[in-house]
Amino acid sequence: MEQNKITETKELGSLLLDVGVSLLSSGASCSRIRITMKRLATTYHYEAHISIAPKSISLTLNDEEDNVLFNGMRSTPSQGVNFKIISGISRLSWDAVEKKLSLQQVRNELNRLLSLPHYPRMIILLFVSLAGSAFCFSFGGKPPEMIIAFGATFCGLFIRQEAIKKKFNPYICVFFGSLVASLFAGAFIKAGLNINFEHAFATSVLFLIPGVPLINSFTDLIDGNILNGIVRGINALMFSMAIAFGLLIAMLIYNLN
Amino acid sequence: MTMDWIIIFSKAFWCGWAALGFGILFNVPPRTLFALWIGGAIGCFLKFTLLQMSVGVVFASFVGASAVGILSIPIAHFRHVPPMIFAIPSVIPLIPGVFAYRTMLGLIKLTGAIGTDYNSILSETVNNGAKTLFIIMSLAMGVAIPMHVMRKESAKNIRLIKKQ
Repeated sequence: MEQNKITETKELGSLLLDVGVSLLSSGASCSRIRITMKRLATTYHYEAHISIAPKSISLTLNDEEDNVLFNGMRSTPSQGVNFKIISGISRLSWDAVEKKLSLQQVRNELNRLLSLPHYPRMIILLFVSLAGSAFCFSFGGKPPEMIIAFGATFCGLFIRQEAIKKKFNPYICVFFGSLVASLFAGAFIKAGLNINFEHAFATSVLFLIPGVPLINSFTDLIDGNILNGIVRGINALMFSMAIAFGLLIAMLIYNLN
Repeated sequence: MTMDWIIIFSKAFWCGWAALGFGILFNVPPRTLFALWIGGAIGCFLKFTLLQMSVGVVFASFVGASAVGILSIPIAHFRHVPPMIFAIPSVIPLIPGVFAYRTMLGLIKLTGAIGTDYNSILSETVNNGAKTLFIIMSLAMGVAIPMHVMRKESAKNIRLIKKQ
């Protein structure tokens, strides 16, 4: 086989693995990862065989006569939900099919997507806190409880972001967030304000709920990726237990029942 | 039957903001933010309307989540994003936070000594736990099923209105 073909195969293999691990670490379901990688491989006239483990992806590329040309595996970097990457890669894979992009163009676009910034930190804090008070309202909270939920979410999310920056274990980050948020909410109840403490407490930690792992767990199970589905489900359960633990410690500190 | 439309509409309004807040937390592309607000509001509107018609909370949540799941397909076309990016933040306001909280407190109380009220705590905890579990399952089903009913691998291949 001539040299060009070998370099192209290597490049495509490494590109596909990068696409796969970026999707896996930003919270895409297994079927989406598999479909996207296969779509890209088919565009360049290869057949891809993919195995997705909870924290790694392995790939074999065959040519159209079923000769194995590439074998590779890559493990994922730290996990964090990032829908901008998922939607960007989805668009990129369709562009590659429709506009016949070269491998280098796809690689450049992927690098651009991975370097896109998040929303500014202040915007995230304010809007998630607003979401916290919105939750409080939908469970029947009144304005004073909504303000407490806003403050509690703000402090809790701030601490969680700081803990993530300092590279704590992800469950510990959630525990810190839940502890600080419920300590904040509990302080007002302890101060003797006449508020419904169930609403204030229950909604102050809702920003931590593992919504993406929960729904992905179900999607994976229904698609037949049972192992990945179980792993994601247990992951969501661990996050929920971290939330409950933080809440419990705060209630013990304030001696509330 | 009298319906309290003011409460329903104001709850839907605020749930829209909850969906939008979670969208920002999950770093969705800015072009989908408005759609998220609408999705969250529609899901909650259906849920709270059904609750006022004294439908069970599990089924009401399922209807809300299914509406979001079905809406996610035209929005995927319109905003050029995968359906899940619209659907997941939009169903998060339907998550039963208060039931989950009561379940957790109940479980902790169950570790205490067996007193006269132990039976009532036990049945309340099981009731809240079952509601939490089934609501969360129905949310995941509502989001996932519409894509599977269409039996297509990608929302790009789904046409809700047949081309002439």
